Amino acid sequence: MISKIFARFWLIITLFCFGTLGHATDKLPENLQWQTNDTAPIFASPDAKKGGTYRTYLSAFPLTLRTVGPDSNSSFRGAINGNQLSLISLHPNTEELIPELATHWAFGEDKKTMYFKLDKRARWSDGKPVTANDFLYTLEFMRSQHIVAPWYNNYYTEKLDKVVKYDDHTLAIVATKADPDLFLIVNITPTPRHFYGELNKDFVKRYNWSIVPNTGPYQIDKIKKGKSITFKRKKKWWAKDLKYFQGRFNVDRVIYTVIRDQTTVFEYFKKKRLDDFIVTFPNYWHEKAKSIEIYDKGYIKKHWFYTDSRESPAGFWLNLDKDLFKDPNVRYAFAHAIHMDKLLNGLLRGDYSRLENHNTGYGEYTNPNIRARRFDIKKVEELMTASRWKRGTDGIWEKGNLRYSVKVTYSFDGHTPRLVLLKEEAKKAGVDLQLQRLDGSAAFKLILEKKHDAAWMGWSTSFRPRYWQSYHSDNAHKAQTNNITNTDDPAMDKMIRAYRDSIDPQVRIRLAHQIQEKIQEIGAFVPTYKVGYFRTAYWRWWQFPKVAATKNSGGLFEPFGTSLFWLDPAIKKETEQAMKTGKHFKPETIIDTTFKPK
Amino acid sequence: MTTMKLAPLTLKKIKRFRSIKRGYYSLLIFCFMLLITIFAELWINNRALLVYYEGHVYFPTYGAMTPGNTFGLEYDYETNYRDLQKKIELEEGNNFLVMPLVPYNAFEMDLRDTEFPPFSPSWKDKHYLGTDAIGRDMVARLVYGFRVCITFSLFLLVITFAIGIALGCLMGYWGGKFDLFFQRLIEIWSSIPFLYIIMIIASIVVPNLTILVLVSVLFGWMGLTWYMRTATYKEKARDYVMAAKALGASNNRIIFYHILPNTISLIVTFVPFSVAGGISGLTALDYLGFGLPPPTPSWGELLQQGTTNLQAIWIISSTVTALVVVMVSITFIGEAVREGFDPKLHSTFE
Amino acid sequence: MASYFIRRLLLVIPTFLGITLVVFTITRLVPGGPIERIISEAQQMSATEGDSAGTSQSAANDAPLSPEQIEMLKEFYGFDKPIFISYIEWLGKVLTLDLGTSTRYYDPVWDIIKDKLPVSAYYGVVTTILTYLICIPLGVLKAIKHKSFIDSTSSIVVLIGYALPGFIVAIILFVWPAAQWDWFPLGGFISEEFEDFTAAEQIWDVIHHSILPLIAYMIGGFATMTFLMKNTLMDHLASDYIRTAIAKGLSFRSAVFKHAFRNSLIPLATHFGNNISLFLAGSFLIEKVFNIDGLGLLGFESLVERDYPIVLGVLVITSILGLLGNILSDFCVALVDPRVKFD
Repeated sequence: MISKIFARFWLIITLFCFGTLGHATDKLPENLQWQTNDTAPIFASPDAKKGGTYRTYLSAFPLTLRTVGPDSNSSFRGAINGNQLSLISLHPNTEELIPELATHWAFGEDKKTMYFKLDKRARWSDGKPVTANDFLYTLEFMRSQHIVAPWYNNYYTEKLDKVVKYDDHTLAIVATKADPDLFLIVNITPTPRHFYGELNKDFVKRYNWSIVPNTGPYQIDKIKKGKSITFKRKKKWWAKDLKYFQGRFNVDRVIYTVIRDQTTVFEYFKKKRLDDFIVTFPNYWHEKAKSIEIYDKGYIKKHWFYTDSRESPAGFWLNLDKDLFKDPNVRYAFAHAIHMDKLLNGLLRGDYSRLENHNTGYGEYTNPNIRARRFDIKKVEELMTASRWKRGTDGIWEKGNLRYSVKVTYSFDGHTPRLVLLKEEAKKAGVDLQLQRLDGSAAFKLILEKKHDAAWMGWSTSFRPRYWQSYHSDNAHKAQTNNITNTDDPAMDKMIRAYRDSIDPQVRIRLAHQIQEKIQEIGAFVPTYKVGYFRTAYWRWWQFPKVAATKNSGGLFEPFGTSLFWLDPAIKKETEQAMKTGKHFKPETIIDTTFKPK
Repeated sequence: MTTMKLAPLTLKKIKRFRSIKRGYYSLLIFCFMLLITIFAELWINNRALLVYYEGHVYFPTYGAMTPGNTFGLEYDYETNYRDLQKKIELEEGNNFLVMPLVPYNAFEMDLRDTEFPPFSPSWKDKHYLGTDAIGRDMVARLVYGFRVCITFSLFLLVITFAIGIALGCLMGYWGGKFDLFFQRLIEIWSSIPFLYIIMIIASIVVPNLTILVLVSVLFGWMGLTWYMRTATYKEKARDYVMAAKALGASNNRIIFYHILPNTISLIVTFVPFSVAGGISGLTALDYLGFGLPPPTPSWGELLQQGTTNLQAIWIISSTVTALVVVMVSITFIGEAVREGFDPKLHSTFE
Repeated sequence: MASYFIRRLLLVIPTFLGITLVVFTITRLVPGGPIERIISEAQQMSATEGDSAGTSQSAANDAPLSPEQIEMLKEFYGFDKPIFISYIEWLGKVLTLDLGTSTRYYDPVWDIIKDKLPVSAYYGVVTTILTYLICIPLGVLKAIKHKSFIDSTSSIVVLIGYALPGFIVAIILFVWPAAQWDWFPLGGFISEEFEDFTAAEQIWDVIHHSILPLIAYMIGGFATMTFLMKNTLMDHLASDYIRTAIAKGLSFRSAVFKHAFRNSLIPLATHFGNNISLFLAGSFLIEKVFNIDGLGLLGFESLVERDYPIVLGVLVITSILGLLGNILSDFCVALVDPRVKFD
């Protein structure tokens, strides 16, 4: 077995080498239309000042500083990857392409090749120039068995065909097949060959705590294992004067300290040892941050920022292979027995809003006519009686030896109160929900083995809607696939196939709308809620542009992302003085609805 | 027959127990709490005790649910008796209903339009100890949670005692290889971290009462078995057992007529401590989130809620008070039982 | 007697093997280990990005990882052999004092445990010392003043402490003295700014942090030790040799302290070994409440995170301590009371 894998591995490597050698003599096509973008609006403030330290926390020390391989999938990977630029990026508000490591790009006629011209100024943090070789190495690196990251091995083999180098600063990246959003696939990051060299079996251990050269604005400066990690701004960063980087990355230092307990985080914030505190959770915003001294005296500000981003499809996923859910009426009845209004307005204080559709926030790809089924006992009764069910002595629906009792599998403890409320309300509609909380991996295993009745979970989002994994019959009725509803519908299969095969955006949009209607018709996914905003409390010396964040941002303080904050030393001094003398400022709560969808 | 023979001695022990006031009153308090929790439906419930409606009398407390349309309400799920009460009062007819003292059950969330839970204690709303973080009545959660706790402890008690007495007695009586084998097993078994195992199990399946009791038994039978073994061992070596043996008494007769009656009176002193152990064990598991699944009312879950919602101080204070009262009274009972049943009368120096 | 202790020490071996084998087997049988974590990570990732992955039907239809890849992972984590064989391998490494590598931190298990040991040892040793320092005088006082006001009130206090499980006491101390009244820090072993403190401030900082956890640790063992001290002392005081000594003109004071007291320490000594091993291992519930980074919390967290090499490493340390503690107890008894002979 092992030798077989090895053989395969060598095959890949050899093919790859041949590939590069073969293309080394390739000529760049002549009729390429090179594009760049220096006309998109800037979103940072030109008034931003450099300097200061931003202190935040981690709930656990990262298990590794690697970004691939075992245990690298932690939230901290975002911080490391945030400092690793790719060839191009998307403008956070307009979603046009803007330059990063590449100054120019062009699309090939085959719709699977994209050409790039690298910025000649681009440097690794150790001073070495970034060249096309580093992109060649990315492919080699990501396909290596030594990084113990099978998913990446697959992805970089199945999605990317090759990288072609024309000279040190000109390259092409070729996908395995044509794609309407090709740039998403081919927009890879470079990997420093001069740092890793030849990989071997020691990779996971050897590079577990190494600081890898990067191309972004910050680099890790100090690590206190188990306690803190400090990033330092590169004073002579090669990209600091580029148009879309100006006014961003303002603080000199970013310190992550480990604080396990959420209650302690708040105490630290109050004691000025953290710069901000996320109050997105309704009970935090309304209870904890409501009347604290530092707010009443105006030392901290509260900021509520609405975003318009792609929403995770979160809700109940009913397993159609269970006898109970074979009948569509019973599925519709389930949706009508879920009292989202009471949950949103009673327990969550009306902050979250109802998720209507499987794909919300995908722009034109979202079908605006789909509305989730509402809590309605009358409708439940009609549907259930139509299918000849009767209420039992305890008020729960029964039919033959079936009872409308549904096990709801979930894993996050914080959701228990929400489910408890829905359970009590569903009982009135004659639906009995049994809560089954399992730890994350056990819950996921059970769901992927399709042993659940109903799963309470959300998937993460992608740039464009995707359906094949979750709804195509190829993935139904078998373990370890993401079609957790076991949807198996020939009409759906046809649409998904067409959607996947088409590279015409208009066709895809039409199909996406139809598929979303079909999802609604099948009724195996019961959408629940979306958040649609973030809320932060921070000390008043932190400053922002007029519109404090971008359309898709995840918070006000994402130091390596698109966040725009800077520190005003004068205000800091003033505030600290005021805190000593007891002087007050006017308490300030900012609510920004610039990007709130209508 | 044995009990008849033992009666005078047992009476004497009970008398001695009663003379220890601290333990005796604790027993009374504990029994009172047991009664409260056994008949909790009668005074903490969202169902009315009695409804007189249009000439009919209903007792909804126990049994199947009565749908709302029975009382002229426009739904056929379970009647909301608090609303019914308001409706009947407005109608000014002959109808009436009697609600229990605390008109909430342990599961329903009392949500309001303008305020959000947790609600502080209020006589007006009949939340005498307030509500928990999601609006469930604290009194109801505590009392029904106590029921779960005590059920767990009693099952645990019966099974561990059955195993402990049987196995311990055999080990002590037979001795030899049998004894040695179980000695080793017990030593190994008691070094295995029980909480680890239960945590592993709880992450794979959702534990219910049976599973929790079984796993707790699996890792909780050793202490009593060990004690029983020693007691049997000592008893076996005593003259009267020798004498019985010499007289040709069968093993069964010796065990059931001589050894067991004498050792069990010692074992009785472990009962209260075993109950206390059960309660604290289940509470710890629930506190860590590895116990019974929500929304089962549980003290451990309330502790967890209380420590994360310190601004709602009534949650943690009432839970801690309840725990202290229960644990302390059980300990006092246990201490008095020990004094009464297993007296080491210390002669004092004058 | 030497032969007795040698036999006891030899018996530690099968017991130790039994404990580790049971736990080793369990950790192998339950789902959620490192391999399943990687599989589910891959699954979640392909849910977001990999929709159109795979032009060929076969590659895309399968699970996100091929059986070969899973085999490779098993080999990487040493899960590719039958349980018993890998147990023997693990045991062989333990004998050479190699506890393996954490499957999450990729650091040697021993290094991780070594980091936590000082904290646990500090609490263990201080708790043991304080328990003896308080229980012995209290027990003596209660014995001499038997049935007095002091005796009965202190009994109630001690019994209440005994009644409450340590973690409940910890919660009570955490909620009121620490969180509500702000008298003590909320948890942890030392302050964040510890390094900037002067020596005196550092000492105070450690004490300030450890007062509440120490109370929680001590309170359970308190009752047993105090009553043991009291009861044995009273037995001795009532015995003939003390009566004789006093009849011969020895003062009550010297009778108590020169004769009865020393003999009464014997049963306390039997608890010594148990106490020290118990406290060294720590109670993870108390450590969790006060967020103390000790051995107990390490075991708990690695269990939750399924880092089995650490779980087993902690188990090795605590079970050896436990088993040796028992022997140490017997040894203490022999030391205090020369009459005791084991056979």
